[in-house]
Amino acid sequence: MRTSQRTRLRTTAAATLLAAVALSGCGRDDGTAADTEAKEVSAGKASGEITVWALGAEGEQLGEIAADFEADNPDATVKVTVIPFDAAHDKIATAIAAGETPDVSLVGTTWLSEFAATGALDPTPTDLIDSSKFFEGSWGTTDVDGTSYGAPWYTETRLVYYRKDLAEKAGVTPTAGWSQDDLKAFAKGMQDNGGAKWGISLQPGGAGSWQTYLPFAWQNGAELVDGEEFAFNTAPMREALDYYASFFSEGISPTDLAEGGLESGFINGDIGAFVSGPWHMGILADQGGEGFADKWALAPMPQEETGTSFTGGGDLVVFKDSENRDTAWKFVDFLTQVPQQQKLYELVGSLPAVESAWDSGELASDPLLKAFGDQLQDAKSAPAIATWEEVAAPLDDAIEQVSLGASDAEEALANAEGKANSIGFGN
Amino acid sequence: MTTTTRPEPLAVVAATEPPRPRRRGRATVGEATAQPWIYVVLTGGLVLLVGPFLWMLLGSFRPDRELKQVPPSWLPQDPTLDNYRTLFTELDFPTFFFNSAVVAIAITLGNLVFCSMLGYALAKLSFPGKRVIFALVLGTLMVPGLVTLVPLFVLVSNLGMVNSLPGLIFPFLAGPFGVFLMRQFIQSLPDELIQAARIDGAGEWRIFLSIILPLCKPALATLGILTFLTSWNNFLWPLVVAQSEEKYTLPVALAIYSRGENSSNYGLLMAGSVAIIIPVLAVFLILQRHFVQGIAMTGIK
Amino acid sequence: MASLTANPTPGTRRRPNRWRRREVLVGYLFALPFLALFVVFTVGPVLASFLMSFTDLRTSDVRSPLAVEVVGLTNYADAFSDETFRKAAFNTAYFVVAGVPLTMGLALAVAVGLNSGITRFKTFFRVGYYLPVVTSIVAVAVVWRFLLEPDSGIVNTLLGYVGVDGPSWLNSTTLAMPSLIVMSAWRNMGYLVVIFLAGLQIVPTEMHEAASIDGAGAWKRFRHITLPMMRPTLLFGGVVTMIGYLQFFEEPFVMTQGGPLDTTLSTAYYTYNQFGFGNYSYAAAMAYVLFVVIAIVTAVQFRLLGERD
Repeated sequence: MRTSQRTRLRTTAAATLLAAVALSGCGRDDGTAADTEAKEVSAGKASGEITVWALGAEGEQLGEIAADFEADNPDATVKVTVIPFDAAHDKIATAIAAGETPDVSLVGTTWLSEFAATGALDPTPTDLIDSSKFFEGSWGTTDVDGTSYGAPWYTETRLVYYRKDLAEKAGVTPTAGWSQDDLKAFAKGMQDNGGAKWGISLQPGGAGSWQTYLPFAWQNGAELVDGEEFAFNTAPMREALDYYASFFSEGISPTDLAEGGLESGFINGDIGAFVSGPWHMGILADQGGEGFADKWALAPMPQEETGTSFTGGGDLVVFKDSENRDTAWKFVDFLTQVPQQQKLYELVGSLPAVESAWDSGELASDPLLKAFGDQLQDAKSAPAIATWEEVAAPLDDAIEQVSLGASDAEEALANAEGKANSIGFGN
Repeated sequence: MTTTTRPEPLAVVAATEPPRPRRRGRATVGEATAQPWIYVVLTGGLVLLVGPFLWMLLGSFRPDRELKQVPPSWLPQDPTLDNYRTLFTELDFPTFFFNSAVVAIAITLGNLVFCSMLGYALAKLSFPGKRVIFALVLGTLMVPGLVTLVPLFVLVSNLGMVNSLPGLIFPFLAGPFGVFLMRQFIQSLPDELIQAARIDGAGEWRIFLSIILPLCKPALATLGILTFLTSWNNFLWPLVVAQSEEKYTLPVALAIYSRGENSSNYGLLMAGSVAIIIPVLAVFLILQRHFVQGIAMTGIK
Repeated sequence: MASLTANPTPGTRRRPNRWRRREVLVGYLFALPFLALFVVFTVGPVLASFLMSFTDLRTSDVRSPLAVEVVGLTNYADAFSDETFRKAAFNTAYFVVAGVPLTMGLALAVAVGLNSGITRFKTFFRVGYYLPVVTSIVAVAVVWRFLLEPDSGIVNTLLGYVGVDGPSWLNSTTLAMPSLIVMSAWRNMGYLVVIFLAGLQIVPTEMHEAASIDGAGAWKRFRHITLPMMRPTLLFGGVVTMIGYLQFFEEPFVMTQGGPLDTTLSTAYYTYNQFGFGNYSYAAAMAYVLFVVIAIVTAVQFRLLGERD
């Protein structure tokens, strides 16, 4: 029909005009998105209701600690909602988009700068929360360009888990202040003489492998950021990557471990060592069975210029749109007090981000925990940059390529640096 | 994790050819009896297919530790009801089940009603704009789902439907897939039926209810099964919309309780997955006779 | 059934005007409930996301979505010059080209098998073959990873019996994708089996009998009788599977996370990653590129396999 053609033209024209009008309304002005001025919090007891989002199975336990807060502040109510870990990032992002944020939320340390860039986070009131009581690496995760958003809640860092019995059999032992070469020799020793199939298991690329690799680069003195640009293709980074990849090329570390293969391999003696955080203590206790606890121990990160490890954990943030900002911040402050930090450890096993919480109780006496506490004194986090997650992906790719022998360190890192810089810092 | 919220399209037929006359012969099966080797091959294939389901079922009765062994073993070494106990006592199972059920049933019923109405209109009535509507429906069907998540959530928030069951239901009440299915099916119904009824003086609504719909039973059953399946298993949208645990659906609750930051509770996950699957299987079993017939109709057109 | 005397020629549109007007009114009334909801909840967001793809919207902009720069086709141009996107596109094409015929072939074979006089356990078989479609992807992933285990998996154990040293399937840059293709065929076969089973009902036994009397063997009968009669059903199955496979995401997500070295990264997965990074407008552009491909492929399939009469 002739008319349908004309109608179609008219409809298309109208639609294009509408789209043009809609888009013409767009335009970014130069106002800064993130607020940098911290406002004060009133004194006295907290009141009113706040909603708090906690993550994953551990989040279930927050209710208990919240009850203590309510006991202390009879006029206040805390409503805890647990959200799944896997999709938490998307949920928080969409909540910000629609203005449906809670008062307080737990966020992963690598997400904080990204959310801060949206302007949705409230800067930390410096009169309430004292930054010096936290581990430096932990506080660093909340610091974006000089302004802090939120407070660290719990932390973690990475150590070398190793089979004591296999090491003994091989006649090798880790020593405080050992070098990267010492670590490699140690692993090789367990393989050659200790009966292990693999000396140590490292992550050969893939999501998150940067967390295992970067400590070695940091130990060499690498700085990831140079002014306004990323600096991946530097000598310390290359040396660290060559060192990392050599574990695979020399057959000390497997490249194709199955899921769950790490734990079972370590337990049955195929794997002599691996690098991980405090959560594996619980996993090994669960799966290792009777008497396994005597067979393994922890060793610190090797020392070159420094003995730096990676630190992550969780931060608490308060949202700008919160209707009860005072109580929200008081609750956050409550959670960073020593008794609550220790209680968190008891309930969930997460390590306190507050240094003095380590001065008493199990955290001070248990040698394994003490090892983590000591390492926390020298631990770095990912740069607090909004685009870090995206930038880390090319870095993971570089690690994968070199570990699997598909590229050499210089080429891979140069590539990754190029991609990282085209992504930029996200402001 | 499927983040799309629509069932996969069954028929993407945009053709407007007149329906083929259907053969009125009895639909028969090939030979009288099957050779035994066919049974053997099919059963072999079946074992392969049912494997994961069996593993899931068996796994739900095993402690988490056992499930994480590498290599995994098939038979429970230490059978336990703990996973189910946790599932039904520690989780607020009735609430989550209720939410999932209400949402899935509402979406299914809504689609059955609205899609059949529009499907009928597109198939048998003529009015200006029909082609545009159909193209629009077709088009949105082919858009990958994730990309509309943020705009949809902003919309729902502005409508004040966040953290409510309506917020979980409304966005999916008008599914393009259903319109497709019904249109295809109804198109193959003879026009004479409708015209004759009109001549007899029947109102349009009556024609629709007493003539068209009864003939659509197979397609409606098909649409019912598929819509129910997708709504029941939907994870991302219920997660984003819910702000408090009373509004969680089963898939969301299961994801929380079985996954910690650095570990997973496989035992609980298996038990939960079995519990989640049962209503879906029940719906499938009840409706599957119509189902086969239904797809036949739309397939042949 | 009423008589057809009033309208001697069925199908002609020579109805009185008042019926015509009524028809239009009724048409709109029937369409209204659906359209009201559809426009608000589906068309609206789709349009918004489409417009979004012409801007540079990122996470940092979500609170002020109108304060973004319009960048026209930049996102689309970036996608095509993005090495990873091209790789993902190639992987997706590979998956579809290999996966669709494989899935269809298997399903057809099973459907024919189920159709050849299985009288007992018909429902049992049907449900069984459909089970993978509804089983949790987590359970599916665990079992398949076990099957493909380089050392203790069943596949390599069986290969070992014939003296072949099985490779590490999921960690090989060349074998990971074929493994996923086989797994997807296995998983989605059941859906097609049901469709094809129904389609096979159309083929009448008389034709088979006549042909076999004339001396045609089973394979010849299949090729010249069954297949042509099943054309609409085959088109159906092909289109459905193709659309689903063009958007494949779950399998690489749970099995290989796109690796090794991005050899199993699909377009949908890459879009998901970009969405996770907060590059909303870029993700939207890639999604619409995928949309265009889906639309084109569907149209082509119709041209090729659609009804001629």
